[in-house]
Amino acid sequence: MTQGAWACLLLPLASAFAITIAGTRISRRTAAFISTLTAMAAFVEAVIVFVEMWGKSPADRATATTSWTWLSAGSYHFGFTLLTDQLSVMMMLIVTGVGSLIVAYSVGYMDGEDEERRFFAYMSLFLFSMLLLVEGGNLLMLLAGWGMVGLSSYLLIGYYQEREAAVAAAKKAFIMNAFGDATMALALFLLIQHTGRLDYAGVFAHSPVGGTVANLIALGLLGGAVAKSAQIPLHTWLPDAMEGPTPVSALIHAATMVTAGVYLIVRCHPLFENAYVIQDLAAGLGAATLLMAGLIALVQMDIKKVIAYSTMSQIGYMFVGAGVGAYPSAMFHLMTHAFFKALLFLAAGIAIHALTGEQDIRKMRGVGKLMPYTKWVFLAGSLALVGIFPFAGFFSKDSIISSCLQHGTYGALLWLAGIIGAFLTGVYTFRLFFIVFTGEPSEFAREHYHAHHGKEGPVSMLWPVGVLAVLSCIGGFIQWAPLWTPLTTWLSPVAAPLVEPTSTQEWATSAIAMAIGLAGIGVAYLVYGARSIPLPKTWPLLEKKFYWDELYDFLWYRSSDAIARGLYAIIEQPYIAGSIAAVSGLAGESSRELSAAQTGLVRTYVLALASGIAILAFVFLAAR
Amino acid sequence: MHGPDIQWYVILSAILFTTGALGVLLRRNPLIILLSVEIMLNSANLLLIAFSRLHGREDGQIFAISVMAVAASEVVVGLGLIVAMGRRHVELDVDKLRTLRG
Amino acid sequence: MANFLVWVVWFGAAFACLASALGVISFSNPFYSALALIGNLASLAVLYLLLGGEFVAAGQVLVYGGAVMVMFLFVIAYLGDRTDASPWSGGPSWQIVGAVLAGGAILAEVIVVVGLKAGNLLEQPKHISRSFGTPESIGRLFLTDHLLAFEVTSIVLLVAAVGGVVLGAHARALESDART
Repeated sequence: MTQGAWACLLLPLASAFAITIAGTRISRRTAAFISTLTAMAAFVEAVIVFVEMWGKSPADRATATTSWTWLSAGSYHFGFTLLTDQLSVMMMLIVTGVGSLIVAYSVGYMDGEDEERRFFAYMSLFLFSMLLLVEGGNLLMLLAGWGMVGLSSYLLIGYYQEREAAVAAAKKAFIMNAFGDATMALALFLLIQHTGRLDYAGVFAHSPVGGTVANLIALGLLGGAVAKSAQIPLHTWLPDAMEGPTPVSALIHAATMVTAGVYLIVRCHPLFENAYVIQDLAAGLGAATLLMAGLIALVQMDIKKVIAYSTMSQIGYMFVGAGVGAYPSAMFHLMTHAFFKALLFLAAGIAIHALTGEQDIRKMRGVGKLMPYTKWVFLAGSLALVGIFPFAGFFSKDSIISSCLQHGTYGALLWLAGIIGAFLTGVYTFRLFFIVFTGEPSEFAREHYHAHHGKEGPVSMLWPVGVLAVLSCIGGFIQWAPLWTPLTTWLSPVAAPLVEPTSTQEWATSAIAMAIGLAGIGVAYLVYGARSIPLPKTWPLLEKKFYWDELYDFLWYRSSDAIARGLYAIIEQPYIAGSIAAVSGLAGESSRELSAAQTGLVRTYVLALASGIAILAFVFLAAR
Repeated sequence: MHGPDIQWYVILSAILFTTGALGVLLRRNPLIILLSVEIMLNSANLLLIAFSRLHGREDGQIFAISVMAVAASEVVVGLGLIVAMGRRHVELDVDKLRTLRG
Repeated sequence: MANFLVWVVWFGAAFACLASALGVISFSNPFYSALALIGNLASLAVLYLLLGGEFVAAGQVLVYGGAVMVMFLFVIAYLGDRTDASPWSGGPSWQIVGAVLAGGAILAEVIVVVGLKAGNLLEQPKHISRSFGTPESIGRLFLTDHLLAFEVTSIVLLVAAVGGVVLGAHARALESDART
């Protein structure tokens, strides 16, 4: 089991390394296949680890292996530790499973790009980093993986490095994530100060319970989670991150990286339970985000941005789940979300690819008629997203919403937010579906659509989407609370849920949520499909994404700029530049003075000689 | 030894040396400068011979003879230079030779 | 009595020496300066005789006075009457002051050294024999202890002679170029 975990972790790293070293000596295709095959091999290893673990009794399933002491400072020793337990193997399966499907898809999507090798090297690097994050046996390893996924995200968002918008988006993502990294590091410092260790078991046993320190630790971790998962207030980077290629959006900004925040909360749930105020805060931020993102998605015109806001919204659901203590439900929704969100992105990618890069839904109108396969898989993903039985989202989302009812009055508010969110989800998702995939094709679509050898896209793009569509249809049946709950049982030794909703609450919530979702679909159909109701006027508040970008621009950019300008005028120019100028001026002046001695007259030089002799003789005399 | 002690010779030599040095430093005509250099060399010679007498060995006199030979060679070269200057109608004034002025 | 005579001769020679040295540096006419130097050399020869250096005194008169100064006089005569109008002027303002100070400092230091008896280095003069300073003893020393100095000095003289010819020939060649 240990070896499987190590193999799973190191295979993508080996792939990234090999592609980088080989450089242009291998063909682009070869690089793509190296990356894909190692990803699939890593998935196979993860399955092996899972099967081995299944064979053991629940108490025996967690194994921590340390290969060497990584950091040793005084009395603090931190090892390079991998922890293989129920939670980490679940994440490993999701990351490598969905990851290998997406990498396989990108073989076709990125075919013909000049810098294809770089892309696949980065994708492998990302897989390695994410696996390091989830397999890490102590918080230091998690932080290392955390930083590296941020790096991979930066590299991949800015993949089209000639585009200014892409580079700016990459920087924005990295800077916001760096803020989260900083708060996390501060939390780790507090933990080291108060417990002297960072391994999970030790930290959970010895960290302070309640009080300011516990709150600060949890707050620091929450800061990192919020930045990585694009929740309010550190969410503005995610829509901009859509500048990266579509597979990147699917893998990093839908299925895996952005869910790392949820993983963190679930993994460190004892720390959050020690500071329940912060845990409630996490749930509140999740609820606020899911509503805000849902509203903004109603007016977006770029297909990828709609799906991005949808991601933000769904992760809000996961935060609500983790915030009220329904850890298995949150993880379950993480899994199903990975399936259908990746599916939505990849299907959109097929359409974008066929229309040679167009992403505006007004121009893509009606392309569904030209691409039936894509239309049906997108429909499957949309139904899963809205949470209609029997598609995957139904089972996971409703567990979360119903768990809120067990959390008192605050929970009731969260429940309400979840239900409203379900309505919004129905509207924006099917707005997208009805505009892009139904109705008559637009002028643009007809002109620019080009089939790939008679099919909608390369085969390498079509089959992963098919696999994800199947998973979106049947993947939810793994757990249907309150009927059968194997997932909760599996995860309970690591993250037992704090709340268990009653059967009545479950059934009622499911019914209401599905009804509301269908209502949303209906509204979308009336407005965008059948055009019975005219389009409402768009509100600037929504169009400007609730003015968050403007606020941050004012708070951070303008103030920093003003400070920098002020310092430049007051300190840099007169003192720093001035001192250098003064030094050079001094050198010039002194050399001018000294050159007065170079009279060119022989006699003055002889005088210098004579004076020197006189002085020397004096010195010798004085020495006696 | 009859006559003055060694100190008198030392002081006489010093005065001669200073006179020669002043001549080198304060005159502009290269011929005069060369003559002043001769004075300085001679003052050194006087000192050498005086000390040779003090120690009772002729080594100082040998040294003085060598100095005389070298001084003669130096005068040859110096006068050759001055003659060359004169032939090219360069004014015999060391202050006029200023190309090394910085 | 002999002592008194020696003192008288010494003072005469010393006075002549100093006066002629001052003359060398003071005359504006270089011809007069050269003649003053001849006087200086002659008085120095007398002093050498008083110190028992017969050969050196003779050499001084013959070589310096007879050869070097004659050469000087030839050159001064060749270069014509270039009298310095104001011999002491010219140069930077601090030249004169600096020169006097430096010269005075050196002189003062020597006097101080003598006054301090140079750490007892100025002991009583040793007794000398009759053959002190004779050509025979000088010659013997030149060819035994100081052979290297002897040979090197002769080479220096040879080099200087060649140098003189070259300097003179070079100028002559250029002059002939200028004329044609």
